[in-house]
Amino acid sequence: MRNGLLFFVGLFAALVFSWAGVVLWPNQQLARLAPLFDENEGKAFPLRAPGLAAQGQQVYADLGCAVCHTQQVRRPGFGADKERGWGEHQSVARDYIYQTRVHLGESRVGPDLANAGGRKAPYDEEDLLKLLYAGAGGMPSYKFLFEQRSIANRQPSDHALPLYGNLTPPVGQEVVPTHRARALVAYLLSLKQTYEYPEARPVEPAAPKEPEKQ
Amino acid sequence: MTSAQTEISEVDSTARFPLSLLLAFAVLWALAGGALALLNYAQTLDPALLADCALLTYGRVRGMQETALVYGWAGNAGFAVALWLLGRLSGAPLRSLNWVVVGTLFWNFGVALAIGGIAGGHGTSIVLLRMPAYVQWFLLAAFAAIAVPGVLAWTGRAHKPMFAAQWYAVAALFLFPWLFSAAHVMLVVAPLRGVLQPVAEAWFAQSLWTLWMAPVALAAAYYLVPKITGRAIPSYDFAGLGFWTLLVIGAWTGGRHLIGGPVPAWIATIGIVACAVLTFHYLVVAINLSGAFRRSGFTLKFVAFGVAAYVLGGFADAVLSLRSVAEVTQFTWMSQAQSQLALLGAFSMIVTGAIYFLVPRIANQPWVSTPLIRAHYAAAVIGVIALVGGLAAAGIVQGRDLNNAAVALVDIATHTRPWLLVAAAGQALLLVGNLVLAAHLVRLWTTKPETPAAELIREPHAMEASAS
Repeated sequence: MRNGLLFFVGLFAALVFSWAGVVLWPNQQLARLAPLFDENEGKAFPLRAPGLAAQGQQVYADLGCAVCHTQQVRRPGFGADKERGWGEHQSVARDYIYQTRVHLGESRVGPDLANAGGRKAPYDEEDLLKLLYAGAGGMPSYKFLFEQRSIANRQPSDHALPLYGNLTPPVGQEVVPTHRARALVAYLLSLKQTYEYPEARPVEPAAPKEPEKQ
Repeated sequence: MTSAQTEISEVDSTARFPLSLLLAFAVLWALAGGALALLNYAQTLDPALLADCALLTYGRVRGMQETALVYGWAGNAGFAVALWLLGRLSGAPLRSLNWVVVGTLFWNFGVALAIGGIAGGHGTSIVLLRMPAYVQWFLLAAFAAIAVPGVLAWTGRAHKPMFAAQWYAVAALFLFPWLFSAAHVMLVVAPLRGVLQPVAEAWFAQSLWTLWMAPVALAAAYYLVPKITGRAIPSYDFAGLGFWTLLVIGAWTGGRHLIGGPVPAWIATIGIVACAVLTFHYLVVAINLSGAFRRSGFTLKFVAFGVAAYVLGGFADAVLSLRSVAEVTQFTWMSQAQSQLALLGAFSMIVTGAIYFLVPRIANQPWVSTPLIRAHYAAAVIGVIALVGGLAAAGIVQGRDLNNAAVALVDIATHTRPWLLVAAAGQALLLVGNLVLAAHLVRLWTTKPETPAAELIREPHAMEASAS
């Protein structure tokens, strides 16, 4: 290799080639993915998330939640995602078109959160706030997302967490989630991939044809 | 003294201050990153550790650790080695070194700002680009300043034909700004839509490795191995093919992180195929650099371990990207094992070898103590093996358990715990090794240069420029 200019052009071409193949080509395929209007339900999927959820997404990003939690369900039969109750069907590209930042995640120290807002078991705002406050199993508690304050001279907050057992705050004190905590929980509750798009349905192997009866 | 004068030319001595500055920052960040990594593993073992401290939340510490090691340690050390190589191979002293000093100060201010920003909650949560958006252009400008002497040395080289070490060093210097700014635009300024973001993230993370870190390490290895052994590179004709395979195919392997994910299946398939094709590159590197295993002196020992880790990592990528294997190892500690093998096993070991080679030359004085180098080598080797082995074993245990829905997540944490303890011990040893290096550097820089490195250095100056 003697010709410096040719070498430089080659370097640049190699980079552009991989960029075009890995990023530009999928962009052609996916950038215009449209929501799906369901005639029976009378609305288009995926649903738009509330504004508070968009703020919660930033809290999710800045705390680095994606280090331990994924947000993608693999198809039934590939891993045990369905058996673990993380989702009934495979996640598809259309599930994510309204998310400002997509956190597919890198490892599963904790459970997958693709359907954090669509769990069958009763799993509401209060449950998630308590989980963030107390932690569970391998998950640390995020007490800094809560404020413990005195109720000596004022009315208790409507948002105060009902805590029992050894988590009960001292008498005259209450634990109130901050705005960040409530936004984070709104984000988690907005994560729902319950609608099954045609492309998420597994391809059934063709059934052997019955011989026709006369 | 005479033999030293033939070796310690002005090529080395003029660059003494800027390169020493880069190396000092590199070692500082290696210590900071190692300490943060150790804290991170401790938090894995005991989730309650510092959980009340928002600045040191597990997810943020991971980002801080990664930024310190990749942009702090690997960045600074890579600049020092690449610039020194380009200077030597051009056969003339590096020019415009003031740019390096200014760029280095700004780069390291940027890295500190990035780590502080992640701690303060401004991080982006993008793998290998977790620093706040406002730091990213800053680093790019600092990079441009640092690269100036490298570009001048390359364009003004005395010998037109280039040696393999030059291809790799020039590729690393030119491609980093392109891919870094492309990622900045696609992921931060005007984020792509939906799952195209993770696709672009995979492309960037892979490119950062195959187009920046790996080329810097290979540049050092391709220079040092023939130089120290005094033998030509075997099958050198294939080196060019190996180089272009890495550059053209390397970034395509990113898709393997998306196996089974919500993206078109062909993206993962191309990633798997690219991993298989890339084994050709690793094979070429293994053959070309087999001279490293002749083992004479500490530089070659470090380089040999790094080359072995590099080749092993390449073949491991090819195996672990297969769908049936990925079904188990995806989303587990195994991916962490792979990235640590690449960063701390391959890159860091080769570059540390280069540091042990270049510091006496730019400082014009030998290392103070051989036992210290031996201690560093032992700590680094055992540390990398324990860290990567522990993480890989934890990954296999975790992957098997995850695919068995009867095992609760809490039990998985219990099952992986012993292996993560091994990994944490490995990380601690690596930190000790870097402390030894830091102490040694301080001793070398504070002793008066009365005994030149004559004994250590015997090769004639003629080797460098005519090696192609």
